[in-house]
Parts: sequence; C-alpha cells; structure tokens
Amino acid sequence: MNKGIIEVWCAYYPIFLKGAIGTLEYAAIAVIFGSIVGTLIAILHLSKNKVIGAIANVYVIVLRGTPLLVQMYIAYLFLPIAFPALNFITKEQWVVISLILNSSAYVSEIIRGGILSVDPGQMEAARSLGMSAKNCMIKIILPQAVKAILPSLAGEYISMIKETSLAGTFMMYELMYTRVLLLNKYLTWQPLFIISGMYLVMTTVLTWLSGLLEKRLAESD
Amino acid sequence: MTDMKKSLIETVDLKKNFGSLQVLKGINQTIYQGEVVSIIGPSGGGKSTFLRCLNLLETPTSGKVIFEGQELDPKSTDLDTHRQKIGMVFQQFNVFPHLTVLNNITITPMLEKKVSKADAEKEAMELLKQVGLEEKANEYPRKLSGGQKQRLAIVRAMAMHPDVMLFDEPTSALDPEMVKGVLEVIKNLAESGMTCVIVTHEMGFAKEVSDRVLFIDGGVIAEEGTPDEVFNHPKNERTKEFLSQVL
Repeated sequence: MNKGIIEVWCAYYPIFLKGAIGTLEYAAIAVIFGSIVGTLIAILHLSKNKVIGAIANVYVIVLRGTPLLVQMYIAYLFLPIAFPALNFITKEQWVVISLILNSSAYVSEIIRGGILSVDPGQMEAARSLGMSAKNCMIKIILPQAVKAILPSLAGEYISMIKETSLAGTFMMYELMYTRVLLLNKYLTWQPLFIISGMYLVMTTVLTWLSGLLEKRLAESD
Repeated sequence: MTDMKKSLIETVDLKKNFGSLQVLKGINQTIYQGEVVSIIGPSGGGKSTFLRCLNLLETPTSGKVIFEGQELDPKSTDLDTHRQKIGMVFQQFNVFPHLTVLNNITITPMLEKKVSKADAEKEAMELLKQVGLEEKANEYPRKLSGGQKQRLAIVRAMAMHPDVMLFDEPTSALDPEMVKGVLEVIKNLAESGMTCVIVTHEMGFAKEVSDRVLFIDGGVIAEEGTPDEVFNHPKNERTKEFLSQVL
C-alpha cells in the first residue's frame, strides 16, 4: 500500500479541495468577525476610562499569550458546560467562536496601531467642527486607519489560514482534517505533502495579492 | 467702544498646565461680537494654548470659558453643539484626506445638523466659489496646494455657520507665495463682520485687520490695545523687545 503522492492526489483530490475550501471559509469567518470584534476591542483599549482600557488590554494579553489549541479545547469542552443556556451552539461552532476571538485579539492590536497612526489633527479638526466623538471615529478616523492597515489585515488572514489547521483536531472539515480521513485508507505520509503543497499555494497566492493591494494603496496616496 | 458690544467669549482666570509646566497663568479676557482680535507673542508663550482653550480642544486646568453666556463644560454633550458655532482653522490645515473637497465641507452639516445632501452641496459649492476652488470640488485634497487646503479648511468651518472663527497660525505652514491668498480670505471674513480671533506671526496683517491686539508672553496677556497702541507705542518692555525682533 505504498502509493505515490501523485497517485493519491488523482484518486482523492475532491477530498483535498473540499478541505481547502473549508480552510478558506473558516479563516474568512475568523478574520471578518474577528475584525468587527477587534475594532470594538481596539476602541475600548484606547478609551480614556482606565478600567475599560485595562479590561481590553487583559483580553488581548490572554488571547495572544496562550496557544490557540488550548483556547479551542476550552471552547470545545468547557464553554458548552459554562453556558448551558447557549445550547443551540454546537461544539464545532464554539471552536469557530474561539477562532474569531483569537483573531479579534490580533486584529485589535493592528487596528489600534492604525487608529494611533492617524494624525491627531484629524480628530481635532472634526471635533472643532462640532462632530460627535462617535461620528468622528466612524467617519474620519477609522476610514483612514483601515487604509493604513489593510496590508496587515491581509497578513492576519494569511496566518489564519495556517491556524485553522488546528480545527481538524475537532473533526471539523478543513484541509488538515483530510489527513485523518485518508488514514483509514492506510495513507500515512502522502496526504501530508499534498496538504503542505495546498497550504503553500493558498498562502503564496494571497501574499502576492496583498502585495498588489499594498501597491495600489501606495499609488493612491 | 467695545464695552458697548455683546460679549461672545469670556475667559475667567483661565489656567492650563502641561505636567508641571504652567502655560497659562490665569487669563481674564473677553472677545466681543464682531471684533477682530489678533494674538501675537513669542513661541511657547501660550498664545496657541489660549486659543485652543476657547473651544476646549485643550481642557483648562482651572478657570472658565463662557461662550454666548454659557460655561463650556468638557463633560457635557452640549459641547459639540457649542463647537459648531466656534469655527477653527489650524496651522496644518487638517483637511480630511479620504474625502473629496466637496465632502470635506458637507460631511459635518449633514451628520450633525441633518442638512440634506442637496442643500449641503449647494452651499458648499457657493463657498468654494468664494475662495476660487469650485473646480476642485470633486478632487481629493492631495491634489491641492497648501494655500488651497487652507482655504478649503476655512470654508469647511464656515459651512457650520459659526459665530466666531479661531485661527491658529493659519499661514505658518504655507509657502510664502501662498500666504497672500489665505490672508485675503481671512480679511474678507473679518470685513464681513465675522468675529475672528487670530494667532499670527504676520505682524503687517495683524496691524491691518485687527480691532485689538493681545500680546501674550509667559502665560499672561502682557499687553493689549489697538494695533496703533501695541505696534507703534508699546509700553511693556517685553512687547518692545519682541516687536524689535520681528518687525
């Protein structure tokens, strides 16, 4: 039962492709919802209220300072017990939520950096016109911050593609999980090379696209 | 003469510290309606800080700022409403780079005063015409020169129909050939009866447009009077020294 890599690909490529799509979907969900949560965390982090700022800071420290796999286990095994009222959320969805929260911690630091990079004169001009703090943040500061950090956000999406490989541990259908599926066909090492190659293709293409995006943004300045 | 006029902004024992440094040491001053007041003085003397306290961009350490009879409170939500009536123009222009010239002007009236898009744009175009920028309406600010950006910043503030305009060294960041056009716009505003408070290093301009000149040095108003009094017959030694250096 020692088939070559190409043979295995030809026989099972739909399984791998389905896994890759799962990976892209999980990463997209994590980064999109992570960005929304992360923006809120970033704003709280920058709050003048020291208690609120400290809470946001602890959130970021804990989620960035512990392994994602541990967070996923806690989400999978503990959160369903901790929140019985939320029993409509499946264990797999809890894992996705842990991905989102993990991503939000990283994104919030990116966005916080973006907000701080906007010239303070922009806030002063908007507030001096009588714009409310909320409108000023939404209409003046965030659009400028987001433009500055789009390349970093793309980078976060790219690393999330690799991070989602941990979800396979919980039998969630993503690229790494295809390894488990093919184990019962006695294929131990071939899928690993196919999986690696597919991760490489995804991250390389996305890195190239984000480079193009960065170039376009630089031109519009 | 000015005593007959209505007080627009009044400061009472206004003090401002930055850390252990006291930048304003208790300023009592009244700006009257329709007045054009220039503030001159050496760098670091507190003139910009004083101006920025008038709309609470800087929160005073102690003392009061009273605008149209009401004390400005940094914690109150009314502050935004008051600020709509206090226009401000900055040294660095601070136009919004991600918005077109037209949207720079229309965004705040539409958001905060619920002016319709059509009305806001109509007025913005009229304002742009007044400062010779109507052809730039759909450009982004990066296509503008410094002088054009500053004229945009002035009409952006005007679109809120302020009762007073604060200018914080409006020409200091401009190339020399751009200064005249901007001063012209400010002068027209002043002559139209707009109350103006202008922090400036342009002594000739201050002399020409002002009703009153304040010389701020060391965190206090060291001398004040008509342009003739301050520029031609200064009494204070520091004023004399300063003027001898800049004139």
